[in-house]
Amino acid sequence: MRTQWAIALPLLLCAGLAGAAGSGYVLKVTDLKSKPFLDAETVIKLPERTPVEIVARQGPWMQVKAQGKRGYVRMLQVRLNLSDTAVARAPATSGSLPTANRPAGTSPIVTTGVRGFDEQGLKDAQPDPAAFERMAGYAISADQAQQFALGAELAARGVPYYAEDGKPMQGARR
Amino acid sequence: MNARNAVIALALVAAALSAGCESAGALKGVQIGGVDVGQLAENVGGLREIKEPEEIEMGKGVAETLLGASPLLDDAQVQRYVNAVGRWVAQQSERPNLPWHFAVNSSEVVNAAATPAGNIIITTGMLRVLRNESELAGVLGHEVAHAVRKHHLAAIRKGAFAGLLAQGLQAASQGSRNEQLVNALIGPTKELYARGLDKSDEFEADRMGVVLAARAGYDPWGLPNAVQTLSSIKPDDNAVALLFKTHPAPSARLEKLAAAMGQSFDAMQGRQNQERYRQVTARIRVAVR
Repeated sequence: MRTQWAIALPLLLCAGLAGAAGSGYVLKVTDLKSKPFLDAETVIKLPERTPVEIVARQGPWMQVKAQGKRGYVRMLQVRLNLSDTAVARAPATSGSLPTANRPAGTSPIVTTGVRGFDEQGLKDAQPDPAAFERMAGYAISADQAQQFALGAELAARGVPYYAEDGKPMQGARR
Repeated sequence: MNARNAVIALALVAAALSAGCESAGALKGVQIGGVDVGQLAENVGGLREIKEPEEIEMGKGVAETLLGASPLLDDAQVQRYVNAVGRWVAQQSERPNLPWHFAVNSSEVVNAAATPAGNIIITTGMLRVLRNESELAGVLGHEVAHAVRKHHLAAIRKGAFAGLLAQGLQAASQGSRNEQLVNALIGPTKELYARGLDKSDEFEADRMGVVLAARAGYDPWGLPNAVQTLSSIKPDDNAVALLFKTHPAPSARLEKLAAAMGQSFDAMQGRQNQERYRQVTARIRVAVR
């Protein structure tokens, strides 16, 4: 397993760093590990609600800075700070991407946010059979999906479902 | 048989059931749009499984109302891309042969939903907060799981919704029978998708969504990362009001995922396809981080 990680780590680091940012805290008492393995040395035991600065995401692990140290914690133990994600406030009217955020060569998108997929939008919704026909027109066949997967190096593999307690379930397909 | 006829038949059945019809036998032999209403009454009443063609027609009816909430994104490339990812994930499920349809709705709201029989809608708002294709695969996997496990179908079969259908029927006064009955289905759809499923259904869809994405070759940590992102959005943000109302709190979902995933997925590699995701969604994505 260590060997696998040794190979995978540089790749994961790249992927993780690209999406890195933000801060949060550990939900419970958590070991800050020197490396992303369960049996790696524990740098320090982080008390409940210790603030962490996220450096990178690596599968089940998050590389973080906490209490002046750098290390790894389980990503599912981390909760992000509320202020970190600036989701666009659902605007009542349309808008366009700010020019600075728009990739070169693309036209500004106008989001027709007059109706939204929210409680009010649902309340006001009238059946739209024409939209369903257009939706069906975008469908991808099983064969096309297979081709898509091949082109993206997505290999199907057998993975069982897991119960709430983490036990693999019997009779799962594949 | 078209969706409208199926809807009509279902509404009739629901009305009959909630009106206290002693048995569905009273409707036996009554045909609407090629559907044997008597038989469907027995099915909806829980005596028999609803057959797949009936489930598909129901799903279409529900989808037509959901699609009325916000317009489809007018971008064929994004629509086809989301369909390709979604279909490939759905192929890994126990119901690969459903007529899977995926659609991106143009809405700032962060949301995704599934109807019976595999019509799945995701908003541009959701696409904007996702980082890569593995997160998209996880979110779509969650929705695929709802259809595979027939969560919405089961909810619609519950008495409350059968009763609502009947009320809708009674409320509709004049007009053609079709109009009355189509109207009767709109209420239960709106009610169900505004209220949400049982929390246990959502936790199950999370567990299955992780596995479906992993089976499809993706990084299994896509869905946990997406849910973690949701945990950072202020609950009073209008963009997440409906999602948060209809789902367990993101923090609770993460805790359940931690228990279910344990270390089982630690050694599993998988694709994130971040570059492709960013490229395809560039036109609808605002830099949020």
